[in-house]
Amino acid sequence: MERSSFVSEIPIYEIPGGIHPEEHKTRSNQTNIRRLPLANELVINLKGQAGNRSIPIVEVGEAVLKGQVIAECDGIFSAYQHAPTSGTIIAIEKRTIAHPSGLDDLCIVLKPDGDDQWCELTSSSNIEEMDREAVLAQIFEKGVVGLGGASFPSHIKLKQHEGVHTLIINAAECEPYITCDDKLLQEHAKEVLLGAEIISKLYQDINIVIGIEDNKPQAIDAIQQARKELELSNIKLGVVPTKYPSGGEKQLIQLLTGKEVPHGKLPADLGLIMHNVGTCYAIHLALTEGKPLVERLVTLTGDNCKEPGNYWIPFGTPVDHLIKATQSDTPKRLIMGGPMMGYELPHAHVGIVKATNCIIMSADGELGMDQTALPCIRCGACMDACPASLLPQQLYWHAQADEFDKAEEYDLFDCIECGACAYVCPSHIPLVQHYRYAKSTIRNNRVEKLKAEKARERYEARQERLERVKREKAERHRKAAEARKKAAEEAGKKDAKKAAVQAALARVQAKKKAQQSDESAADKNQSDDNHSEGNN
Amino acid sequence: MALLSSPFAKKTNSVTQMMLWVVGATLPGLFVLMYFFGVGVLVNLVIACTTALVAEALILKLRNRPVMPILWDGSAFVTAWLLALALPPLLPWWMTVLGTAFAIVFAKHVYGGLGNNIFNPAMVGYVLLLISFPLEMTTWLPPQSLAENPVGAIEAVSIIFTGAASNETTIDMLKQGVDGYTMATPLDHIKTELAQGYRIPEAETAPIIKGLSGAGWQWVNLAFLAGGLVLMAKKVIGWQIPIAVLLGMGLIALPLFFANSDYYLFPMFHGFAGATMLGAFFIATDPVTASTTAKGRWIFGIGIGAITVLIRTFGGYPDAIAFAVLLMNMAVPMIDYYTKPRTYGHADKKRKASEGVK
Repeated sequence: MERSSFVSEIPIYEIPGGIHPEEHKTRSNQTNIRRLPLANELVINLKGQAGNRSIPIVEVGEAVLKGQVIAECDGIFSAYQHAPTSGTIIAIEKRTIAHPSGLDDLCIVLKPDGDDQWCELTSSSNIEEMDREAVLAQIFEKGVVGLGGASFPSHIKLKQHEGVHTLIINAAECEPYITCDDKLLQEHAKEVLLGAEIISKLYQDINIVIGIEDNKPQAIDAIQQARKELELSNIKLGVVPTKYPSGGEKQLIQLLTGKEVPHGKLPADLGLIMHNVGTCYAIHLALTEGKPLVERLVTLTGDNCKEPGNYWIPFGTPVDHLIKATQSDTPKRLIMGGPMMGYELPHAHVGIVKATNCIIMSADGELGMDQTALPCIRCGACMDACPASLLPQQLYWHAQADEFDKAEEYDLFDCIECGACAYVCPSHIPLVQHYRYAKSTIRNNRVEKLKAEKARERYEARQERLERVKREKAERHRKAAEARKKAAEEAGKKDAKKAAVQAALARVQAKKKAQQSDESAADKNQSDDNHSEGNN
Repeated sequence: MALLSSPFAKKTNSVTQMMLWVVGATLPGLFVLMYFFGVGVLVNLVIACTTALVAEALILKLRNRPVMPILWDGSAFVTAWLLALALPPLLPWWMTVLGTAFAIVFAKHVYGGLGNNIFNPAMVGYVLLLISFPLEMTTWLPPQSLAENPVGAIEAVSIIFTGAASNETTIDMLKQGVDGYTMATPLDHIKTELAQGYRIPEAETAPIIKGLSGAGWQWVNLAFLAGGLVLMAKKVIGWQIPIAVLLGMGLIALPLFFANSDYYLFPMFHGFAGATMLGAFFIATDPVTASTTAKGRWIFGIGIGAITVLIRTFGGYPDAIAFAVLLMNMAVPMIDYYTKPRTYGHADKKRKASEGVK
């Protein structure tokens, strides 16, 4: 592919590892952004963002307008969802969702009326005058989440502002096939830059750096043009060499700053904050036009896609509609996301979500992961490809032997699951699958352990309580007995005379008895002696 | 059709491809060996490869493993191929069979098959033969150009399979050099001369020590070097281990040479003598038994080079690549453990992940 000759405006550092897979990008970035006819129904996944499931606030049969809130945030770590078009809610039920598990989850099903009529939009009169809280509230209410792939609610990411000195706009788009960020910049660079400006207003004295791979010369030109027109000379372009996974958050930070995000910390701890170009665009729309996030740019591509390109697609649009609308052949394998980090869909009746940046309608043999795995020959190709400087061959060795403590010792949880190791593996081992298995097992074990610990604590607390009750009871009894004894003693003192008389009488009687039985007692003593001798 | 998990993209490479490249890259060395030492080299190859494939198939069957896919990975073939290249050209056939079968069955499959063996199978087979049959294993023919009685193809086959040549020439006659002395390899010759009280400059006057590292052998080494460089360029092998092996040799040989050049060979001689280049580029780079960490590869390679020169100089054997490789194979788990790279975002590799980072 063509490379940009633009020289980066900031120094670029190196990242370890990385791969150069075939890019397949020209297939989808040669045409302008288009729209497809609306689908017959939209299936809106309530768990379409990182965090908690949104809570539906519409009822079946209710008519909604485009942009109207249909589901609310469940707590802070969640997002609002809006109707992607006007129409009627026909069901709130479980449908297959866009998730690697391929499982069903609660979805709102909307039947479009075809009018695509917006509800009343509350746009902000003057962004300059809005304070930080107001801007964040607007971003929150418009359901903006990170559009780079993780769907992390943007308002949470923007919350921390102390010590942040650089805003990085992620336009690297390093994964093969995907071109939606590239096209968005080519056609809407101005809006993206304005969105970045809005974000930068949330911080004091912040630098803006756009990180982009050199395989997007047109997008780089478009940014320069827009920057000139908008007179935003504070925005710097960091052009990085094309290498997967340079667009990973940690990797792009390393490329642009030479720093590593410390294990267990966030980029904000380094004074950095990163947003995707699509997110900037969405924030711009949310603040200037008051438009909530109801659609996104999606790359439709793959050998079986007959009209590859980038399309504005309302959320919830089922993938089978996209296949039909582009007159594509039935895909052999249907991938949501890119070929490196995406996931396969179990079938095409799945609505797209805020994280869906790409749909690959692959032909037979287009994707190479079907081969049988052979034994690991420890060639170390995976190690040379790992951007996190892990030892994938060791992680694999321990993961497949269920030696999870060893896998953790080799920093399993620092694996970003980029798939570079599996891509280069000559033995065709699905390495990432093994790491996911190990990670989830370890997480489950931790939960189980926690549960067991809680149960143990509860048990011990109960035992202690029972023990205490027993002790207290015993103590009470002891005290009661003492009290009785004391009382008896007291009573005894009072009756001392009576007792003395009785005792005297008893002594007299005993004496009489003793005299009577003297003879018989002597006989008995003798027989006792004989008996004891016999025993010896 | 089961759901796959990412990544879906795959580089078009395979173990079989790697193995084929290794075999292909030995061809220059093989041709030079055949030029100097006759058809016997080729006969050894055929015997060894057949034995390896049969042994591999049988043991896979015994272990209830799929035979064809694993046979096709080519690893057994490469083991036999490399072992055969290290064998003397007129070795009795049954020794070749024994060494190869031992390599496949004991050095490889007893440990669990491809990927699980600790020791380089070809070198285990080689050392077994070297220790069991030291005479036969050190009986190299003089390079063709020096030989009084060059060996023809029929004689070679006849000697390998029956122990005697068809036209009444004996192996002892074939071993005669032009000057009537029994020939050995250059390394062997130097060792013998030194033991008899000669100095290196005197030993080097023999016709077998000609040029860089002795007649024939320097060309064999150059040819293996050429093939090895192709493998490097093709990224079938990393460049670190071969360079490290040569570096390790230099580290020991150079100070010795400067200390006393009467007793110690010039480092370049070591580099192009014996099995150096075959060992550095084709044997030490066996991925299964080599170290796999970035630093570990250097330690592993330097260790092999250093041990080789030490044994060649002070030990009882004229060449020592096989011993050096096996010794370093043993150290690999430890090397790998102590040379873990620093993971992204971790301050210090010695610090455990759970302890966090400053």
